[in-house]
Amino acid sequence: MTDTAQSPGGFALGRRILPLALLSPAVIVTLAIVFFPMAQTAWMSLHEYILFRPNDFDFIGLENFMAALADEVFWISLWHTVIWIFLTIPAQLLLGLVTALILNQNFPWRPIARALIIIPWALPSVVIALMWVWMYDSNYGIINDTLLRLDIINAAVPWLANPDTALYAIILTLTWQGFPFFAVMILAALQSIPKSYYEAAAIDGASRWNQFRHITLPGISGVLVTAVLLRTIWVANSIDVIYVMTGGGPGYATYTLPLYAFVKARANLDFGYGSALAVMFTLMLMGLVVVYLTRVGKALR
Amino acid sequence: MKKLLLAATAVALFCAPASAETVRFWYHFDNPDNPMSALVEKFEAANPGIEIEAENIPWNSYYDNLYTAVIGGNAPDAAMVKMFAQPRLIEMGALEPIGDRLDGWDGLSELQDNLINLTSAQDGERYYLPIQYVVLYLYYRPSMFEEAGLEVPATCDAFREAAKALTKDTDGDGNPDVYGFGFRGGKGGHDHWASLTLSRDGVALDDGMDSAAALEGTQYVVDLFREDGVFPPSAPNDGFQEIIGGFKSGRTAMTIHHIGSANGMVEALGDDVSAAVVPECGGGRWTSFGDESTAVFAASDVKDAAFKWITFLSSPGNNAEFNTATGQLPVTKSDSDGWEGHPQRFVKATVDSLPFAELLPNVPATSDFVNTVWPVNMQRALIGDITAEEMNAKIVELYANE
Amino acid sequence: MMVAKRSVVRRILTVDLPMLAILAFTLGPYLWMFITSITQESRLFTTGPSVIGATLDNYRQLFEKVGFLSNMLDSLIIAGGTVVVGLTVSVTAAYAFSRFSFPGRRALLLQFLVINMFPIVLLILPLFVLMRVLGLLDTHLALIIANSTIAIPFSVWMMTSYMNGIPRSLDEAAMTDGCTRLGALVRVVLPLCVPGIIATGIYIFITAWNEYLYALTLGGRSVRPITVAVQTLIGEYEIRWGLLTAGGIVGAMPATVLFLIVQRRLISGLTQGAVKG
Repeated sequence: MTDTAQSPGGFALGRRILPLALLSPAVIVTLAIVFFPMAQTAWMSLHEYILFRPNDFDFIGLENFMAALADEVFWISLWHTVIWIFLTIPAQLLLGLVTALILNQNFPWRPIARALIIIPWALPSVVIALMWVWMYDSNYGIINDTLLRLDIINAAVPWLANPDTALYAIILTLTWQGFPFFAVMILAALQSIPKSYYEAAAIDGASRWNQFRHITLPGISGVLVTAVLLRTIWVANSIDVIYVMTGGGPGYATYTLPLYAFVKARANLDFGYGSALAVMFTLMLMGLVVVYLTRVGKALR
Repeated sequence: MKKLLLAATAVALFCAPASAETVRFWYHFDNPDNPMSALVEKFEAANPGIEIEAENIPWNSYYDNLYTAVIGGNAPDAAMVKMFAQPRLIEMGALEPIGDRLDGWDGLSELQDNLINLTSAQDGERYYLPIQYVVLYLYYRPSMFEEAGLEVPATCDAFREAAKALTKDTDGDGNPDVYGFGFRGGKGGHDHWASLTLSRDGVALDDGMDSAAALEGTQYVVDLFREDGVFPPSAPNDGFQEIIGGFKSGRTAMTIHHIGSANGMVEALGDDVSAAVVPECGGGRWTSFGDESTAVFAASDVKDAAFKWITFLSSPGNNAEFNTATGQLPVTKSDSDGWEGHPQRFVKATVDSLPFAELLPNVPATSDFVNTVWPVNMQRALIGDITAEEMNAKIVELYANE
Repeated sequence: MMVAKRSVVRRILTVDLPMLAILAFTLGPYLWMFITSITQESRLFTTGPSVIGATLDNYRQLFEKVGFLSNMLDSLIIAGGTVVVGLTVSVTAAYAFSRFSFPGRRALLLQFLVINMFPIVLLILPLFVLMRVLGLLDTHLALIIANSTIAIPFSVWMMTSYMNGIPRSLDEAAMTDGCTRLGALVRVVLPLCVPGIIATGIYIFITAWNEYLYALTLGGRSVRPITVAVQTLIGEYEIRWGLLTAGGIVGAMPATVLFLIVQRRLISGLTQGAVKG
């Protein structure tokens, strides 16, 4: 339902300007602070730029990008990024959804439960990473300790030193860190579904599962789609936890593309190549987002 | 009356000494108790007119921040710096040469011999003023050695035998609970590998890494893990936290570190911890010299004041106070002689190791070696992704590009 | 009576127990951190963290020596400021996106996403130079601005989707009653959006509270949020576990307390009846 077109000229102009006026603060701030540096970085990716040789700034066109495509670490990082995204997001989503559904029910200690849920999300990444490193520790970490006691394993597993388990161990940590986000966002969305719908459905004899499928899911789908989108972007880019837990190791076992860009730019000070990696990553992520939006985003209209 | 006051103020303004110079100084302490403030107070009392703004930067972003600040035009006036960063900082044009100022400083002769040479640039120019140091040595558990009837290993072969004998399964579940050596495979662990490889004849990081001796060294390390199983399984990812913790909790019988951790070790293990020099491997000994110096930055506009401050920190008495706070060893002769900051046996191990304590090559490639090339390739070799030969080849490639 | 009993048991099985399980997973590591923070540092690696011989020494040190209270104040100012800026800007922007269609709408929406796709570590350098040029280094304002740029794009998207869930018919109804567009926003849409605003506000607060990279680079002696303070406990040769975990425990409190206060508004019964008729 759109506004009717029969409005006096002045009002029409006001109507045109109003949305832009409402938008301008957001746009101006982000353009100035982020967009220009982004453009600057993209410009850097076309040059050979090593930070401790600030006088060499040779334009080399797409050479950095060519080098990236030939770089085995690039492909390894890309693959890990894919695993990273496609395991972490569903895990966070499912756990968050279940939590939100439970928290939406009536039970006496609900307020406390709701407040406590947020704790993993509220902790600084570096504290989370170090804590989980210690929990995974193979000498006196509590995870190995418990598993040994329960006889599930008979030798301590070096979760973070074993290239086969390292990435998944970190994914578990990130699931722990991120599911409260979904829980909170979905809980808020659940509020806009009137209770009367459920009552009517119950009277009609619909099962809980059908109620969920036909009332709940459609009701929260808009927020769900957006939350998944935003979280995907955030998780894809998040390297704090990986960096502190394994630094990308052992070997390249926990390298993701943004981590690789970070290492190249900050540790090796190769800003040209690091920027190229960042640009490629952004483009690929944009591709994923566009595909996602066109297929699923109809709910966003 | 008012006129008099006005005149007096005018006179005061004109004749007042130059307004306080502010020296911005960056440092990183492991001690959050902020002992720097005591030193700052002392300096400011002795030097009215100079104000020190000391900022504690978290260690794991210290150099990230420093480079950003230098490039972004907001570098501090002076800072604590290490040798591995020197080539890059010089190439950035960030450092102020202090050779002439040092010659004019009467505290120069108070410094331990050779320290200034060790911290000079490749072209002989001096940018750094040493402020503390450590040397890496071998920690071991005397009780475990006694129980196994072993001597502290003096050679690599003896080291291997000892490590194997000390790796045991103490609770009968079929898995070892004590390992011979806590190897540091994560970032910063290159010192361990270096002691067992770079000690060999004809092998240096920037020359000779393609030799048979170098291969022997790297292979020796890989075999200790993959064949002999004397490193804990977590070794490829272990950082200093894990090796120290593992040693303190009795999971490992030996490890390599330095006097910075000595007091903590004694607190946890009492007398059942001691130190010796690293074993001789393939004809020589090599151990890492842990340096730390201060430097003045070229963009500073209070260079003289900054220089005064850094020399203050490296003078007798003050240097002792500094090192009491940081837990490392002082660089002045007089402070070293009377040093009581650590139990004697650790100081002895340090001093005994000085003759073969070395720094890695003073070139930009070393930064990459420390940050990425060594950790990644050592981990890959340990987990079996690549061979020892391939690892050495990567190192050759890195330094050849210089 | 029987019916009531059965449903209580049923409730316990389907709600309380799963919730307990989830909370165990959620709080387990946090409790472990707490136990570590009350263990004496020297015993940490020998006997391990335990409740026996608990001491509050680490907390005392945290506040006295490290000066954590001022760090928390800095974090609070920055996070609070970011929430104010972020919510104001994103609510108005979301209203525009949700209720209007105009050329460039999709492009602008996408632009917000793209900005957040870029690894921010590479933006540090240009941002640092910008702040230095503006003379804003080491001020709260710089960090509020920097954090807002991270928070705004997401918030705009979230608020847009929450607002989309509120039928336009309500706006129309309000305007036929004589409200202006903005009036409709304030009087009708916003009150219904309260859960969404709360959720988004919490999101902004937490994102700003936990932000580390900008805090480290753009902050300094005067502005040192807790994320930076906690990092100073990770030294070159040691990690002060006791202080670090104490800092983590204390650092998570404000967000949790804030959420405790506002979470009742997260669940509002205001939507009931609004859509009928």
